[in-house]
Amino acid sequence: MKPILTIITLWLFPSGLFLLTAGLLYQWFDRKLLALLQNRIGPRWFQPFADTFKLLSKEEIIPEGVNSFLFIGLPVVALAGALTAALYVPMAGLAPSYGFSGDLIVVLYLLSLLTLCTGLAGTNTLDRFSLIGATRALTQLFSYEAPFLLALLGPAMVAGSWQIGTITAYAQTHWLILTQPLGFIVALIGLMGKLELPPFDAPEAHTEIVAGALTEYSGRGLALFNLGRAVELVVGLTLISAFYLGGLSNPLWFLVKTLALLFIIVGLQALLTRLRIDQTVGMWWRYGTLLVLVQWFVMILV
Amino acid sequence: METNSPSKGFTIPIGPQHPALKEPGFFKFVVDGEVITGASVRLGYAHRGIEKAAEQRNWVQDLYLIERICGICSHIHALAYCLAVEQLANVQAPPRAQAIRTLVAEMERIHSHLLWMGVSAHEAGFDTLFMFAWRDRERIMDMLESLTGNRVNYSANLLGGVKFDVDAAQAQSIRSGLDYLEERIRHYQDVVTHDEMFLQRTRGIGVMTRSLAEVMGAVGPTARASNVPRDLRATAPYAAYSQFPVKMILDTRGDLEARFEVRLEELLESIRLIRVILNGLPESELTIRLPRRIPAGETVVRLEAPRGEVFYFIKSNGTDKPERLKIRTPTICNMNSVVRLAVGHQLADAPMILAGIDPCFSCNDRMVEVSKVKDGSEHSMTWQELRQYGIDYYRRLSK
Repeated sequence: MKPILTIITLWLFPSGLFLLTAGLLYQWFDRKLLALLQNRIGPRWFQPFADTFKLLSKEEIIPEGVNSFLFIGLPVVALAGALTAALYVPMAGLAPSYGFSGDLIVVLYLLSLLTLCTGLAGTNTLDRFSLIGATRALTQLFSYEAPFLLALLGPAMVAGSWQIGTITAYAQTHWLILTQPLGFIVALIGLMGKLELPPFDAPEAHTEIVAGALTEYSGRGLALFNLGRAVELVVGLTLISAFYLGGLSNPLWFLVKTLALLFIIVGLQALLTRLRIDQTVGMWWRYGTLLVLVQWFVMILV
Repeated sequence: METNSPSKGFTIPIGPQHPALKEPGFFKFVVDGEVITGASVRLGYAHRGIEKAAEQRNWVQDLYLIERICGICSHIHALAYCLAVEQLANVQAPPRAQAIRTLVAEMERIHSHLLWMGVSAHEAGFDTLFMFAWRDRERIMDMLESLTGNRVNYSANLLGGVKFDVDAAQAQSIRSGLDYLEERIRHYQDVVTHDEMFLQRTRGIGVMTRSLAEVMGAVGPTARASNVPRDLRATAPYAAYSQFPVKMILDTRGDLEARFEVRLEELLESIRLIRVILNGLPESELTIRLPRRIPAGETVVRLEAPRGEVFYFIKSNGTDKPERLKIRTPTICNMNSVVRLAVGHQLADAPMILAGIDPCFSCNDRMVEVSKVKDGSEHSMTWQELRQYGIDYYRRLSK
């Protein structure tokens, strides 16, 4: 019985097929809503699936001058990192499949793997746009990562544990958004930075550097990176909603909560202008970090 | 056109094919990290040989050719050509025709400036403004279509007049459309002057001082944003601008924000002018007859296109074809400022600075520069050599 359960956990739920589907559906929701806010029509619900299948079936072109092992391997690692992270977070509002003391830190690093792989993929090619994009992606990583980490450690502090399961159990009885509003804001905006969504899309600003670090990726690699990002969107939303919006709950209620968070993210995407990379770094260190530190200060005092 | 030495350091090529460019041009930016230390531009990728083609068509056929120089300011080119030919033939189009020409020119300016605002916002990564600006641009294009029957090449001009009249119902629908646009433009004015995030990308970026603008020979809204009083509608009125005077919009700051404000203020001025013209359309014929052969002579016409001064020189030898037609569009005058201003800015600002002059590449391409790929040297070709090169090139392709 145990192996079957493991297989289900890894391949169907919460990781694997369920997560890929959910990721693409969330991505569709993001695109559709953004389109509606911008007075466009937007894609139909199966468009992200169609894009993915099309990319997966395309020939993968490996450009000259790259290490082809890394070129093929990095997208796989990126997607695997995001999928693995899902095993430790309360997907769909249910208790996490696995857990150990300190898994919060592991999850945060697994989520950073995507950006790291993107950066490495950019530096792996000879393309100038990729190189600039990779530099920007890694610069951005160093700017949002610390505030994001500190923001998610806030709930861990009050719960007295670095295990996601324990923190969500604590959050069940305490809506932490009420006691830690600053941390919540920083975490949500940090997620946007992680996913390189506007206004933090300088690493892939297509009017300057085409597609940034992923310029040379066409077929399978691009599909896997895109899937990785879709999965990370779900995992990130799940984590924030579990920490700040009342922990575990039934899947339907959980869906409402994550979609509400996504709604805020989409609204910010529509409202804001892309920041230059120096402005991004400045904003995170000047305001983001400061906000979290104020939050911590208040927590320590109370 | 180069500043500093673009051969050293890490170069970022923008173009000839690049998502930031809607038309082919080639910008080479040398960067140190994110900061641009050198820039150069190469044009000529969309050279179409229009001047030569015009010499082989008769005066009437040329009108249709000239209108296709630019897809955005098509009317102003046809108007410049018509005014020049009318000057050579020594006739004057009737007042009502002149007023309708001015009306279409101002409507074209609205559509061009809205398009520009969308593109610039897109370069800055503010896609919402881009989508909204282009949605509202549809409205003015619908108005142009209801008036002329076309959305892009309005084909409003004839040698010696215009093709259509404006009736009361059309005037009314234009008025109601303008009310809508005025409200929207006031909203956009508010956005570009108060949105903090957007101001971070425009305020103090690409500052062109008045003296620099004069040295560079900048024209149009780009120059007016640097407080250079160059607006031919006001300083050298043509068509019906002397009956319907226009106010020149100036700004002293010279940065991208100033260019936004100047263009948006010009939109409101255009709307005001269109209302005045609609209320005061003079009564007269719409056309006047022109001879098929235009008397020999030379003439120069300068008009204020949405992007700045457009210059026409026409020489006639008394036949039914022009002997020489020289066109200079505003983009070529402003292009120099892009490479100069980009140096010292961040790479992320470069597309914004480029979009700030409202470039239109295919209109300005009057020549092609052929450099040998291997040694990079430049040499000029005779007509025979060029012809032979073309023949060989296409033979090679067809094999």
